[in-house]
Amino acid sequence: MRKYTLALVVVIISSVALNAQDFGTFNGGFESNAQWLQDDKDLGFYAPDDQFRANNYFFLNYNVGKFTAGIQYEAYLPTPLLGYDPTLEGNGIANYFVNYKHENLDITAGYFYEQFGSGLILRSWEDRQLGINTALRGVKVKFDPTDYLNLTGVYGQQRVGFELSEGTVQGLDVNLNVGELLGVEKLFVEVGGSYVGRYQENDGNTKVPTTLNAYAGRVDFIYENFFANFEAVHKDPDVLVNDNTITNKAHTYKGSAMLLNLGYAKSGLGVNASFRRLENFSFYSDRYAEGNEYNQQRINYVPALTKQHDYLLSNIYVYNPQSRLIILDFQQQAGEMGSQVDFYYTFPRGKFLGGKYGTKLSANFSYWGGLDATFEPSTDSYSSEFLGAGNRYFRELTVEVKKKWTKNFSGIYYYTNTIIDKGIVDASLLGEKDIKANIGVVEHTLKLGGGKSVRLELQHLWTKQDKENWAGTLLEYNFSPRFGVYVNDAWNYGGEETHYYNVGGSYTKGRSRLAVNYGRQRGGLICVGGVCRYVPENTGFTINFSTSF
Amino acid sequence: MKNLTIIFLFLTSVVFSQDEVPNVTLNDLNGEGFDVRSFSEDGQLTVISLWATWCVPCLKELDAINDVYPDWQEETGVQLVAISIDDARTQKRVRPLINGKGWPYKILLDENHDFKRAIGAASVPLTLLVKNNKVLYRHSGYSPGAEDELYEKIKEYSK
Repeated sequence: MRKYTLALVVVIISSVALNAQDFGTFNGGFESNAQWLQDDKDLGFYAPDDQFRANNYFFLNYNVGKFTAGIQYEAYLPTPLLGYDPTLEGNGIANYFVNYKHENLDITAGYFYEQFGSGLILRSWEDRQLGINTALRGVKVKFDPTDYLNLTGVYGQQRVGFELSEGTVQGLDVNLNVGELLGVEKLFVEVGGSYVGRYQENDGNTKVPTTLNAYAGRVDFIYENFFANFEAVHKDPDVLVNDNTITNKAHTYKGSAMLLNLGYAKSGLGVNASFRRLENFSFYSDRYAEGNEYNQQRINYVPALTKQHDYLLSNIYVYNPQSRLIILDFQQQAGEMGSQVDFYYTFPRGKFLGGKYGTKLSANFSYWGGLDATFEPSTDSYSSEFLGAGNRYFRELTVEVKKKWTKNFSGIYYYTNTIIDKGIVDASLLGEKDIKANIGVVEHTLKLGGGKSVRLELQHLWTKQDKENWAGTLLEYNFSPRFGVYVNDAWNYGGEETHYYNVGGSYTKGRSRLAVNYGRQRGGLICVGGVCRYVPENTGFTINFSTSF
Repeated sequence: MKNLTIIFLFLTSVVFSQDEVPNVTLNDLNGEGFDVRSFSEDGQLTVISLWATWCVPCLKELDAINDVYPDWQEETGVQLVAISIDDARTQKRVRPLINGKGWPYKILLDENHDFKRAIGAASVPLTLLVKNNKVLYRHSGYSPGAEDELYEKIKEYSK
């Protein structure tokens, strides 16, 4: 099948090339992430049979006039990196597409990525660090009849490794720029609406809906320094699935999501507050994929709305959104609700606390908890309050100050106070135990001239629960903007007395970058962009290479 | 492997052209769409920087350039377009952050990574120097002092 597909793509590319006066342009890239796992007795890690593993991506796009065609070849040789979906094994042409773009029309056939609104109802995307590729294979049409109206339609099946999902996804998105329509200049108002449906056979079980529809509405609003947006999604009733099995006797339950952002920004000051409520809000292209640990077949994107941390020790206790409805004897939850507030301020140069170069302050507060709900597993029923306090899952405050002391010396001072439900950290049951932690980070960078610089991070995590205290450090030396080396260590001295050390470096030349690392990977949830995957503890060499042409 | 051989055979028969800025339209913070190619079309020297609110080296780079940006503009007429790859998780931080930091750059949003994919960026920050939609210089990653090297290139191509 893949051979035919490839032949087809080559034929299309060649025919486009031959018919055109202009022979067009190519661009492409290659990325390889490899690891060579090593036995590490002290850590209790024994390398699996496939000690050497690599995830490789090669893509090539060809553009001529209004047409663009592309392919992405992926090879997981001999098996994917540890912690990635093991079904990704093998190699082949994973994505291909042909796109036509002219004035107000944009048509893609083949594999495509798309997002409606903030992605709460539909987002097909790729993240190689997470092993996510939820491209849809089918047809996408974008049409902008006027400046203030745009329409997008999608139809296709989602990618699952090198295969396709059993379910079919269709969607329509409409955006109307009301401000432009009315000719109002100062005020920006855009309204949008989306529909997304999934079709999947029910194998004769009529209690299980074959078509599952979801509808979203949203409004964006900007007036001078103020901005706001609101989005709401309704999902028709569907069965609940846990571990590939329909639970709760094929009762069906509707789902919903609501997201509100309010903000104010002017020169030197910015504030944003987000509120979100999710109830039974899982949306997969295959109903049996609900809750799968590799984030496969997700139709939508429900990120954790918390601060995305930058340091080793601040990334140990990370929140993971709880959108599912689960009514089982031993586990009951209906969704989540909470908010976060971000604050940015610059003390101007020469003014109070500003010093010669100004001082930058930022802060984030977030609180997330379960819905206030009561459950009746014996009758498969539950009820929930729209507002109201359920169990607290996560609460966090981070304050960060960035200060340039002299022309060549600058610092970052970072403090975080976290309370997290242990169940979020290790995927055990929620509501059993809290972990309270304080994390402090001091980072300094000294520029030595001629592109040389040295950077030192000192970190500490205080907690009496879980694995107790940690100390961390990172030292980085850059010989030039192209070549740097580092060594770091996260030392869990309060608990297992384990050192998670790493040493490595990177070299960049033009369009290519090579990074090597040897060390220990701390096990646990690795979160990128609010989506997490579980990575087992391991030791070894890693090599990352990327280039583009 | 056979697949790759076919591709490479096919490629050898076609000449690779210079790196071009891809044809992607992105919204700015006011919801207005911009073709990324429109910035350097008429010979305007432009730095395109791919960044994200959660990427510390990106913020360091754009802060460092911010300190010297008025001089750069005065001496070479260069402009900087900062394309955020923040998705729904962090995109709402973009506006307060750029205001809080007082960045004067043109900001565009690449929420679902259309531009990032088209330019073949494996990671951020990625800094491009472009003119008439030709990529003159490309650098990924940031360490202190990289902005000086970028400025050398800007001066070289502004003549």
